[in-house]
Amino acid sequence: MASNKTQYNNLTPAKPLDKKTLNKMVWRSLNLQASFNYERMQAAGWLYGILPGLEKIHADDKEDLETSMQHNLEFFNTHPFLVTFVMGIVLSLEQQKADINTIRAVRVAAMGPLGGIGDAIFWFTLVPITAGITSNMAINGSLAGPILFLLIFNVVQFGVRFWLMNWSYKLGSKAIELLTANAKEFTRAASMLGVFIVGALTSNYGGTTIALEIPNGESPIVIQSILDGVLPKLIPLTITLGLFFLIKKKGWKPVACIGLLLVVGLLGALVGIF
Amino acid sequence: MEFNAIQIILVGVWAFIVAIDQFDLLESLYQPIVTGAVVGAILGDLPTGLVVGGTYQLMTIGNMPVGGAQPPNAVIGGIMATVFAISSGLDTTAAVGLAVPFALIGQYMVTLLFTVMSPIMSVADNMAEKGDTKGIVRLNYLAMGALGLLFAIVCIAGLIGGSALGNTLDKLSQDFAWIMNGLGAAGGMMRFVGFAILLRIMLSNDLWGIYFVGFALATIIGFIPELSGSALILIAFVGVAIALNDFQTRVAIKQNAGSANGGDEDGI
Repeated sequence: MASNKTQYNNLTPAKPLDKKTLNKMVWRSLNLQASFNYERMQAAGWLYGILPGLEKIHADDKEDLETSMQHNLEFFNTHPFLVTFVMGIVLSLEQQKADINTIRAVRVAAMGPLGGIGDAIFWFTLVPITAGITSNMAINGSLAGPILFLLIFNVVQFGVRFWLMNWSYKLGSKAIELLTANAKEFTRAASMLGVFIVGALTSNYGGTTIALEIPNGESPIVIQSILDGVLPKLIPLTITLGLFFLIKKKGWKPVACIGLLLVVGLLGALVGIF
Repeated sequence: MEFNAIQIILVGVWAFIVAIDQFDLLESLYQPIVTGAVVGAILGDLPTGLVVGGTYQLMTIGNMPVGGAQPPNAVIGGIMATVFAISSGLDTTAAVGLAVPFALIGQYMVTLLFTVMSPIMSVADNMAEKGDTKGIVRLNYLAMGALGLLFAIVCIAGLIGGSALGNTLDKLSQDFAWIMNGLGAAGGMMRFVGFAILLRIMLSNDLWGIYFVGFALATIIGFIPELSGSALILIAFVGVAIALNDFQTRVAIKQNAGSANGGDEDGI
């Protein structure tokens, strides 16, 4: 679990990352979802992706590298093709040794909205159009179909990945100069945005519902619709706040929480709650 | 039509690669249009592979892994549909039908791996605490390898067992449906652990209101189907406005604080 540090030991900005390191991280960004899991989704793949940059930035302080690795292992989920945008911004903040709460909040705020944009560009536009055309070529027996599909898709994909990385790293480096004058205020505002987004994700990513029905002649009582009448997404909210309480006040480890949810999920499925 | 050992191994290797590719690498090799052609070429019937791949591709457009949802696995679906079309001379729709039990097993493998990888994040935490960068790299590659291996096994079993194995798998998956259902439900809740960990640090006592505003806005927008794609962008607009306003106000207060002493003459 993340340490409670709020600042790096060495607050001197590191040397700006060179193009070679940035490009290396673009290649690594392909495997963002390598260790995808239900708890933190892309977190470990995200850390894997930015490690070359973090190692350079925190080269002179091992403890800072450890701190950075720990907070970059927290929940992360964004659109896989647009992740380099978040990478560029976060790395520029790391390089300037910004407040850890600021980096965390900016990361959370940047990752959320990209999902919808990426789906719209790639899954709803690029794939249907290119696959639609090239599939018909393949059905007509042309090997050019699959080759053309791969070519178009990957030219767009790599163009977007490389461009976003370089653009957002520059953007972050420029913005930071303006913000260091009011660092305390910026950290607070960023934290607000981060908390706001996590609140939104609780509802937006929260799909847990219960399938329990109480038999009542021809119109069984559906528990979920009663809950929805009280407050939609009540279950995701309750579970999140319950886990927050267990972790913050009772000192539970994430593993214990996961164990609890596994038991609840399996028992619930057995008796028909889910 | 019987396949020889080399063909079976090559299909297994391709299954290994595209299993990983569905989430990583180029994220495009796994598409049926590509997979159909490759498997067709391996099995010595490229024309059939192209037709099956192209047809199945058209079927899956509009069934993309959008927003983290998992459709019945198109990776194994594409491979096994091509295999059955070539081995039994079936048309694509029938071949895709025979591939369904295998695709379902593939989907179970994904659920299983995503569940198992959740507690392993604590191992990653320990690595981060020690600054073990090589460990993080290794952990990611191992997870990729595990996914590839699971899928390769399913496909190789399908090549050897044929569609008869599909019936067995079908029955098996019905028997174990409740376990997968339970794992799916638990998996759906595990992200809340991730949220709780983020909040543990970020959520100071004076920000509770902001948390609930975010939740309320997302819930309201979530009820408008037309906004399902743009919901989080719209929410970010509001969040940025609130945060920016707070930032500007506090900076203004800080700047005015210095000149506050001179305010006596205003008579306030």
